[in-house]
Formats: sequence, structure tokens, C-alpha cells
Amino acid sequence: MLTQLLGDDTVLLRRYLGLAIVYGVLSGLTILALVPLLSYLLIGQLSVATAWLVALLFGILVCWGVRWYLEQAGVRVGVAILQSGRHRLGEHVAHLPVGWFTAANTARLSHASTQGMMAVAQLPAHVFTPVISGLVTPIVLLAALLVLHPPLGLAALVALPLLLAVLSLTTKLARHADRAFQQHFAATSQRMVEFASAQAVLRAFSGNHHSTRFLEQAMQQQQRSGTRLACLSALSALLNAWAVQVVFAVLLIVTTLWINTLLEGALTVSSIISVIIALVLVSRFVEPLLDVAQHSDILRSAKGQLEEIQAIFDAAPLAEPTAPQPPRDASIELRAVRFRYAPHEPDVLNGVSLSITPGSMTALIGESGSGKTTLARLVARFFDADHGSVLVGGVDVRAMSSTQLANQVSQIFQESYLFAGSIADNIRFGCPDASDAELLEAARLAGVIEIVERLPQGLDTPVGEAGTRLSGGERQRIAIARALIKNAPILLVDEATAALDAENQAIITQALARLRGQRTLLVIAHQLSTVSMADQIIVLDEGRVIEQGAPDELLAQQGRYATFLGQRQTAKGWRITPDKTRETAQ
Amino acid sequence: MSTHDTSRPQGKSPISQVLAPIRTRLIAAAMLAGIGMILTMVPLAGMAHIAKILVSDPGTTWELSTTSMREIGWVVAASVVSLFVGMGCMFLGELVAHLADNQLTYQLRLAVMRRLSQAPLGWFTSRASGDVKQAMQDDIATLHSLTAHFYTAVGRVLGALLISVLYLVALDWKIALVTLLPLPGFFLFLRRLMQASKTNMGEFIAQLERMNNAINEFVCGIPVVKAFGTTGKAYRGYQAAVDSFAQAFEQFTRPLVASMAHVHAMVTTATILGLTLTFGIFSVAVGWSEPVDLVPFILVAPGICAPLLLLHTLLHDLGSAVGAAQRVMALLETPVLSSIPADERQLPNDHEVRFENVSYVYDNAQNGLSNLNFTLPPGSVTAVVGPSGAGKSTLARLMLRFFDPTQGRITLGGVDLRHMEMSTLYQRIGFVLQDVRLIHASIGDNIALGRPSASQQEIEDAARAANIHERIAALPHGYRSMVGEDIQLSGGEQQRISIARAMLLDPPLLVLDEATAAVDASNELAIQQALSRLTQGRTLVIISHHLNSIMHADHILVLDGGKVAEQGDHDQLLARKGLYARLWALEEMTNSLQSKVAAC
Repeated sequence: MLTQLLGDDTVLLRRYLGLAIVYGVLSGLTILALVPLLSYLLIGQLSVATAWLVALLFGILVCWGVRWYLEQAGVRVGVAILQSGRHRLGEHVAHLPVGWFTAANTARLSHASTQGMMAVAQLPAHVFTPVISGLVTPIVLLAALLVLHPPLGLAALVALPLLLAVLSLTTKLARHADRAFQQHFAATSQRMVEFASAQAVLRAFSGNHHSTRFLEQAMQQQQRSGTRLACLSALSALLNAWAVQVVFAVLLIVTTLWINTLLEGALTVSSIISVIIALVLVSRFVEPLLDVAQHSDILRSAKGQLEEIQAIFDAAPLAEPTAPQPPRDASIELRAVRFRYAPHEPDVLNGVSLSITPGSMTALIGESGSGKTTLARLVARFFDADHGSVLVGGVDVRAMSSTQLANQVSQIFQESYLFAGSIADNIRFGCPDASDAELLEAARLAGVIEIVERLPQGLDTPVGEAGTRLSGGERQRIAIARALIKNAPILLVDEATAALDAENQAIITQALARLRGQRTLLVIAHQLSTVSMADQIIVLDEGRVIEQGAPDELLAQQGRYATFLGQRQTAKGWRITPDKTRETAQ
Repeated sequence: MSTHDTSRPQGKSPISQVLAPIRTRLIAAAMLAGIGMILTMVPLAGMAHIAKILVSDPGTTWELSTTSMREIGWVVAASVVSLFVGMGCMFLGELVAHLADNQLTYQLRLAVMRRLSQAPLGWFTSRASGDVKQAMQDDIATLHSLTAHFYTAVGRVLGALLISVLYLVALDWKIALVTLLPLPGFFLFLRRLMQASKTNMGEFIAQLERMNNAINEFVCGIPVVKAFGTTGKAYRGYQAAVDSFAQAFEQFTRPLVASMAHVHAMVTTATILGLTLTFGIFSVAVGWSEPVDLVPFILVAPGICAPLLLLHTLLHDLGSAVGAAQRVMALLETPVLSSIPADERQLPNDHEVRFENVSYVYDNAQNGLSNLNFTLPPGSVTAVVGPSGAGKSTLARLMLRFFDPTQGRITLGGVDLRHMEMSTLYQRIGFVLQDVRLIHASIGDNIALGRPSASQQEIEDAARAANIHERIAALPHGYRSMVGEDIQLSGGEQQRISIARAMLLDPPLLVLDEATAAVDASNELAIQQALSRLTQGRTLVIISHHLNSIMHADHILVLDGGKVAEQGDHDQLLARKGLYARLWALEEMTNSLQSKVAAC
């Protein structure tokens, strides 16, 4: 996984890992100098002992130096993850289809690319170094134990894999609780976002302080699973430590037995000394392992972070054609298009064919869930159709480059994201070369002028998320201006999601009236005023085109379109309060 | 960093304030960890003791005496027992700290939620929801490394230091002194490390935030960027932000790396052993000690390394925990809507609403209201109309006490809204705003949001009146369907559910922000029918965008620029030939245009 993140910089990781192993070996060898040192010291040969002491001190200096390089190498890997890892992630997501960017995916991506990457980048310096050297050093000591006293060495040799098995088992013990906790944590986070964004509703319906109960319940659940996780991970940590201690105890007991056998045989000074040295080595063998055991928690959560990042890399990017073809005109055509959002879900579009001539206006109507929005999204290539083809300007959208398609199609969908910067910057985003006159024209057309008249800084007012008090409707108008200034031959509009309030509705109606005849317009229409302007009406029902034609023809058919018109007319005459004077008169 | 906070429990630092409720438990946890640490070090001393017995056994050189053998057995047994008990203590300490942490974070989140529920609504609208979540969830979670880990680590370090210093000094104070020499060095470098990171921390955090913002902007803006075919440009911006941060990260870390390497190298086993043995051999050479006297040092002294390194790792996280504690404390001091003592609270006499000289000014002086005076008699229908930005929504929000007037007062049944319990107010005023919000819960729970005690029958009746019962009943899970999971509701259906919600609450007063967002035709009819049923027999305030639909209201308030420009009924206002008359004419014109087209 890390190698995928690092790409060409994997060499840095390898160098670092190599150094970490070298450091572990050197640490082990340095400690091994204790064996001759202690032997000579205990039999009183001070001069030889001193020579070994010099060797030990030399080893310490070498380790110190290697450690310095190791830290550097660890930081270098961290920087590489932060830099080229993020580049790779950015490049990957830039090629994902627009449809991938749901609220949930965007939240995951933004977490993974900020905190997630940061956590992964700190792994080498803070976690890998102690874990690797904590595993390598005991192996070196193990070799010495094998030579010094084979039974003791064998016991240690058997213990090592058993120990690793226990570590991986105990990690599993808490994994389930960990996952449950993460789920509850995420659920509570969602509730908190809801608590903030739906505060008006929650408050108005808080007659008896009941409406915060959902968040309270979520927090309680989070606490309960937190308790469970704390208990289980303490238990698994304890088991880990105990497992290491069992090894220690076994080695101690083996040593005692060794002393026992010594009792029966000849007890020499040298055998006493080797017992003592064995004791020292055993204690040095166990300690780094204990250190490794204590890092298992961190390793577990690091694995989680890496998996999150991996999941994003696994999303399939949109294929770009090798020889892109430019669109020939401003027409739209769908040929037997079928589409569903996920393999196990039903088709949203079920064999849709339609054709829209350049410069015409088409109104798309139908019940909610009939596939109108999906159809518009496919034209903008948010996704690729499962079957059939979507053609823009006579060319399959898959055969043109994403830039070519973007230049051909402009879209006004739901409230879209505004970038940090001024209102003018955001409008100009649609056409960086636009003149001031064009900017003003787009702002006027989209009703942005009425907003900026209230603002002291006018068009130069910054739009930050928590900056200027712009309502959703006002932000949407800026997005409309941005789409209008782009001047693409095809304009897609979703009235349902774009018109957040009555004023925006009027703005969209006006804009459509002005652009009619100059651009190809495909509008998901809800308003009579929009429908009445269209050259062509397409009625969708359950993912199929059920009526299609000029408004007059369809009205004459007395079908779904006629019903729609009738309902709209009734709705128009509605009064929220009855005419009291007329009632009393009757 | 505030390691000093631990030694100053009576201080007013944010850390000690936040930790106050669990202080005792944290101290207990630290003590358990310390005792555990001491016990786990017993075997090291035990091994040293065995070595001593072996070397200085009074029996013959050829065999160990049985007493010695028995003693070794006892030492091994005691070592093993104290090892396991010690580990048990240590992890019991960890558990106590973790549970205390879990308890504390829960209490803090609850306290923050209660506090924020009383803040003016403006507090929420001026913040991104993600920031509120960040403060309630992530900041509080950051305390974890402090509460759950730091104190037990301190306990371990103190336990390890205490026992090894006592033991080694008792054996040979001279060698002990030399053995412990790296400690001052360790703390010295650690201090330097902390200071170096502290001085550069501000700049680093600023860089981090800048880059996080750039990443978020890139991530959230990708759909827009792709729609405009400017992916390359946006990607280059992202690259630049990433590169400059990587540079800042390197600059921030580079001076720390050397200190870090020194800190790590200084407290490794090898270093401590090297020092001990250098002086030890000298000590043996000059006859101060026997060679075997060095064995305990070789065994015990390296034991202090692990807890010290642990402490170092944790100090790393401490800075962010301190920052988080500060933010949590600030959050708990969020200004709230004024409330009065329970015994002074009053109940409204009837349902008459009165605005008396009401003014409201937003922080940025936009969309305010100035000096409004009017009365809503019980049972009347009042419409509020006016151009965008005239203050219509502000008026509705003041009535719902989403915030309090800057000047003047609003009374309900003769009682100032500020002098009644919130729940008293919300039992009497219901609302349907155009911004429909369903919460992530079953449809039944959504309808019963304001009255969780409602029976299934009552919920269904409300849904029926709101023209949504049939749609819900047709779902596989009926009223238990989870919104957004089992069922995706259209905008119009959501509006009908919010009408059912208000219907079930059955308030005598209703504030209606006329739903105008585009919905499909059949939905619009259903909504209109539902609203007609809902408004029957209630005092009604309608914020309206279609003059046509409110022309029969008893009273029409025409707002402009935060002031009442005109008021009266439809005929009176038309006769004035003022703003209302102009708006009316405009609407007539568009209507006639549309019906002309539709008729052909």
C-alpha cells in the first residue's frame, strides 16, 4: 500500500527500512559485546574487559550515528508521503467521475488527504523505528543465546513466532470493538452536523427538550462502545504484555533448571558466569519485545488509515480517449441508454433514446424518481452509461476529452461550491478572459447585482464559508452567473434543485427566455413558465420516455403532459386563506 | 507545552479546568501505573540477586547449597508473581484512565450540546456545520492522548525512576550517579526539542491550516472544476499548496531531527550500559567494588529507558490536547440567550402576539429590522410581503426566538418572550419554513419530532391531513422507513412531512414561510391542500412571495429595508398605489403572460 502511495519514491522507503534493520542489528551486536566483557570482568581480567568496553563504547557511537541517519531517512519518507503521496492522490481523484463526489465520499476524501496522510507520514519516525529495531535486536540476541546455551536459545526461538501469533490474535480481539466504535463515532459526527445544520427545526420542535434526543442517544451509544473498546483494548494490551512476560518467565525457569543441572554436574566459575550472562541477555531479549507489544494499538489504527486511502485509490477513474474527437455541433442525442447507480440496484434509465437539435429548447418533465436528473447528469458525463451511448455534437462523450466536453456543456444544477475569493472571482471562474462588461452582464442576468448592491465591497466581497452572510439562494445565484458567463453552446438546467427560492426561480426563467434560440437548452422543468417556452417536451416515467413532441401536439394527445398542465393551472389559483367576503356572500 | 499543569492542579489552566471531574481517577490511574511499573522491575533485581547468590554461595565451589537453591527458587517465584501482578496493575491503571477519558468526553459533549442549544441561532448560521462537529467531536477526542495516556505514562516514569534510583543508590551510590547521568541530558534535549517545536509551531500550524483549506477546496471544488474544464489549473494550485507544505514540514522537522536522534540515542540500553560499565570497571580497578556488584546495574538501569521514551512520544501530542482543551472551554462559554430564574418565569395569558418597538441588527448590519410595531390578534391571518432582503425571514425568526431583539420586545399573551420557558413558547408557536429539514430517523419519528409521546394513530392522522399518509403506508417499512436510507423523498414529499410535523404539534400560532421551491405539479397541489387544512383555526403569520395567494389575509405588512413600508388589507394597499400596488401589478403581468402561453 505504501509503495503505491510513494511510487518512484519507494526507494526512500526501502533505504529507510534497510537502515532501520541495520540499526536493530547494530544495537543487538553492541549489546552482545557485554558477553565477553562480563565474562572477563567476572573472572577479574580487567584489561581484556576494558578492551571489550572500548568495543562497546565504539558500538554505542556507531549506533548513535546510524540513529541520526535513520531519523533523517524517516523524515524523508514522511515528506515523500506528504508530497508525492498527496500528488498521486490528487491526480487520481482529479480523474474520477463527477458522480463519485457524493457528500460521503467527499468527506472521506478530505479526511484521508489531510489528517489521514498526516498520520501515515508520521508512521516511519514514530512507529516503524521502534517496532523494527524492537524485532531485529532480539533476533540478534537470540543467535547469541543459541550459541551460549542451546536449550535457552531454543526456548527463545520457539517463543518468538508464538509471541507474534499471540500479538496478531489479541489485535483481532479489539478489532471488532474498534470497528464498532469507529462506526458509532461516525454516526455521532453525522448527528452533530445535523444538530448544527437542522438547528432551526430542532429548536422549534423542542417543546420538552425532546428534539436533542437523537444526538443524545448517539453520544450515549458512542460512550458505551467506547467503554467496550477501552476494556477490550486494555485486555488485549495486557494479554500482549503477559505473553511477553510468559516468555520471560519461561526463560527464567529454564535458566533455573540449568542451574539445577549444574548442581548435579561440575559447577565451574565459567558456567556460573554464563548463567549470569544468560540472565542479562534474557532481560535484553524481552524488553524490546514489550515495546513492540505496546505499539500494536497504533499499528492497528495506522492500518485503518491506510485502508481508507487504499479505498479511494480503488475507485475507477473515467477513461480518457487516446485520440479525442471534438463535438461537431450543439446537438444532444441519447441512444438506448441504460443506467443504474450500483450493480444491485434497479435501472434508473431503461433504454432512453432521444434527440435534441442545436439551438432548441427541451423541457424534461416527470414525477420525482423518473430519471430526469440522471439523464442530465449523463449528458454532463457525471457517469458513463451502462449500455447505449450519449452523444454531444454527434460524438460519443467517451470519445472526447473532458475539456472538450466541459467547453461544450454548461450546467446549472444544485447549489454548487464557491471558491474562496471574491464574488467577481467566482463568476469569472466560468470564463477567466471575460471583460468587465461581460462580468456585469452575467451578474445582472443572474440577479447577483441585487445582492452586491447591499454589500459595501460590492462584487469584490469575499465569499467564505463562514464569511459574508450569503444565503443558499444567493450563493446559487453566483453559481448561475458563473455558468452563464461560460457561454457554452449547450446549457443544462435543473429547476428543482437550482431554484431555491422564488427570486431564483424568476431569474432562471428570465435567463432561459433570453438564451432561447441562441443555445441548446435542456431543462428539468417544474414551472409552467418554463414549460411554455419549450420547443420540445419530453415526459419521463420510470426511466422511459413516454411522451415526446411539441407542446401543442402533446396537449392534443390528452396524456401525461395534459394532466401536468391541468395540475399546474389549479395550483396557480390557490389561496392560502379563503376569500371571506365571497364566502359570506354565498 | 504545559507539563507544568500537572504540578499545579489548583491552577486555572484550561487543562485542569477540563480535567477537574476526573482528577481523582487520573491520580489513581497514575498511581496504579507507577506501582505496576515498580513491580515489573522486581524480576530484574531478582536476577541480580540470583547472580549474587551464584557467585557468593557459601557452600563449596563445586556445588550450590540447598539453601541457596531454595532461595533461588523463591526469588524466581516472587519475580514471576510480581511481574504478572505488576503488569495487571499497569493495565488496570490504563483501563481506569481510558474509562475516565470516555466518561469525561461524553460529559463534555453533552455539556457543549446543552450550551449550544441555548445559543442564539445566529451562532449556528455563522458557522459551517462541519466546524461545529469538529469542535464537539474531534477537538474533544484530541483530549484522549492527555487523559487516557499522559498521566499513566507519568506514573510509570516516576515509578521506574523512584525504584531504580532507590535500589541502585542503596547498592552503590557512586555507580548509581554515573548510571543516571543521561537523565539530565535527556530532559535537557527534550526541553530544547519542545522549545524548538513551540517556537516554530505557530508558523507550522498556520501552514497546515492553509494547506488543509487548499486540499478541502480542491476536493469540494472538483465537480465544479471539471464542469468548467479547468482541472489542470486547479490541480496545479493543489500541487503548489502540497509542495509548499511539504517544504514547511521539512523546515519544521529538520532542526528537531538531530535533537530527536540525541534524545533517542541517549536513553537506549547500550548507552546506559556503556556509561555504567566504564565507571564500573574503573571502580573495580581501584578496588571500590567487586565485579559482581555491577550485575544489578547492568540488569536494572536500562529499565528506565522504555517509560522515558513513552513520555517523549506523548509530550509530542500534548500540545494539540492543550489547544483542544482551550477550544472546548471557550465553547462552554458560548454566549446564550438570556434566561431568567425558574420562579420568575411566566405563562402567557392568551395567544396574542405583539411587537413593541422591535429592532434587530445583525453583526454585519445587513437585513436588520428597525422599530417594528404591530399586533397579531388571536385567530387572525397576517401576511408579510416585500422584496428580497427586506427582513421578512428575520421577523419570523425573532418570533420563534432564534435570537432576541436588539431593542424593544415581543410579547406572547402579554409576556415577554424572554420571560418564559423555551418549551412554553414552542408548545404555542409552530412553524413550517421553506427550508425543510428532515432528520436522519424514521418517518414516524420525524413527524413526532415535537411530540415523541404521540400515538401511532395521532401520527397517521397528521400524515393523512398532510396528504402524505398513503405514500408512507405504501412503503415496505411504512412509518418505520428510515429517511434517506429506505426511502429518498422528493422536495414536495419532504414539505408534506414537515406539515404533518406541525400538524401533530397542533400549536395555536403558526409561522409559515411559504414554500416556493419548485416541486412537481401533483406535489404542489397536495401541499396546498395540506397547508389549507393546517392553517384552519390558527393565528397565522405567512411570509409570502406570491401576493396572489395571500390577497385575502386580514392584514398585510409590507416590509422594505427592515421597516414597515405599508400595512392594511389588500384593497386598502392597492388604493395607496405604493410598493404593494407595484408588486401586485408586476405579478399580474407575469401571470397573464404564462396563462396566455398555457392556453394555446
